Amino acid sequence: MRVDFPFFADLANYWPQIVRGLRDTILLSVTITITGLIGGIGVFALALSPRGLVRFATQSYISLFIGTPLIVFLFLLYYGLPNLGVTLSPFVIAVLGFTLNVSAYNARYLTIAYKGLDQAELESARAQGFSLFQVFRLITAPQSLRMSVPALTNQAIQNIKDSSIVFLIQYIEFFAQMQEVASRTFLFFKTYLFTAFVYLLLVSVVVLAARRVERKLAIPGLT
Amino acid sequence: MALLEVKNLVKSYGDRNVLDGVSFELEEGEAKVVMGPSGCGKSTLLRCLNRLHEPTSGAILFDGEDVTDPGVDVRALRSRIGFVFQNFALYRHMSVLDNVALALRRLKKLPRREAEERALQELERMEMAEKRDAYPAALSGGQSQRVAIARALAMDPRVLFFDEPTSALDPIMVREVVTLINRLYLDNVTILCVTHDLNLARHISDRVVFLDRGKVYAEDRIEHLLARDADPVIDEFFGGED
Repeated sequence: MRVDFPFFADLANYWPQIVRGLRDTILLSVTITITGLIGGIGVFALALSPRGLVRFATQSYISLFIGTPLIVFLFLLYYGLPNLGVTLSPFVIAVLGFTLNVSAYNARYLTIAYKGLDQAELESARAQGFSLFQVFRLITAPQSLRMSVPALTNQAIQNIKDSSIVFLIQYIEFFAQMQEVASRTFLFFKTYLFTAFVYLLLVSVVVLAARRVERKLAIPGLT
Repeated sequence: MALLEVKNLVKSYGDRNVLDGVSFELEEGEAKVVMGPSGCGKSTLLRCLNRLHEPTSGAILFDGEDVTDPGVDVRALRSRIGFVFQNFALYRHMSVLDNVALALRRLKKLPRREAEERALQELERMEMAEKRDAYPAALSGGQSQRVAIARALAMDPRVLFFDEPTSALDPIMVREVVTLINRLYLDNVTILCVTHDLNLARHISDRVVFLDRGKVYAEDRIEHLLARDADPVIDEFFGGED
């Protein structure tokens, strides 16, 4: 496959490298979006626990990860863990660090949506005889998730953009590959313009998909 | 033996007794209304009876079983009591049919088709079958209340609890819902209804338990209560209606 835009033709020789980088960026972004969503739902469930101690621990976790830069935790895991005799691959560390961070943000979005739910619905489910877990699974989670689609998709977009920082822990994804292309060709302007263009394209795909999901999951009469 | 027997029920928040030794009985097939001024503990009473709120002391015998016993299966108890809420509390992310079928599927473990057939029967009884695919946001207050009642009846409860079933409705809807509950009353459905709507009380109940400041102030037929002479508590509540 060739790049036919004349402006970017100089980059054509590096196409395999660019595609490899793109593949790794997509792999990381998709992975952390999925693990961050699952983690976020789990943290959200714990945030509603009837036990005060569990709620306190969960809120502390959310505050910790929202209140500190992600890169600190990536460095902690990448450079710090080997001190304890644990060495993980850059990909595993990226997934781990992002999942911890994204789960906290997603849990926060879901908690905000939860505050907008009609508490009488939850009480009526309890009155019907549903367990706390069933109320969560059948009422709280579906409604909170559907109310949070815009925030959750913003997070997915953020994940694509933020994934570029993992070059700092030696995970060679799209941005890292483009840095190498730029330093080999000295075509800094073209290379980084192309890089920005590709990120925009990726984000646009997510935005379009998100709109479809939003329409499909909207609760009739409410959104 | 009465279906429901409440003995000396107390519910305290801090040092405030919201319910202060309430006792009454509800026979099978009987319809009883609990009335009283705002804050007298009416809604708390209903919620203590199915343990949505934990009673502080006293006994609640339902079908011969002490509901306050720590070993009681609270979820099984609740599934035998239909509870219709003031604001209907329909699950707004589900269609009308799913609202009614949900507990049949998840609690009674009926297969989907069977649960939906059963749900549809109750919706037909409430004249709401044609709205089976509608979502709660598209329903009027009266229609929502019909679905809420269908949802409660679908589980074949021993008793139906109503918590202020008309207070969220406009006057036309109120008439519709009063007629509906009156029909259940005439069908001998056992009903315990908390309300301050005198008209509703007249149409759906045999007797009224009148609560005042957490205690049973009087229990009588509604016309007898209204005929009481110079009773300041009753007079103030009914505002001179008769």
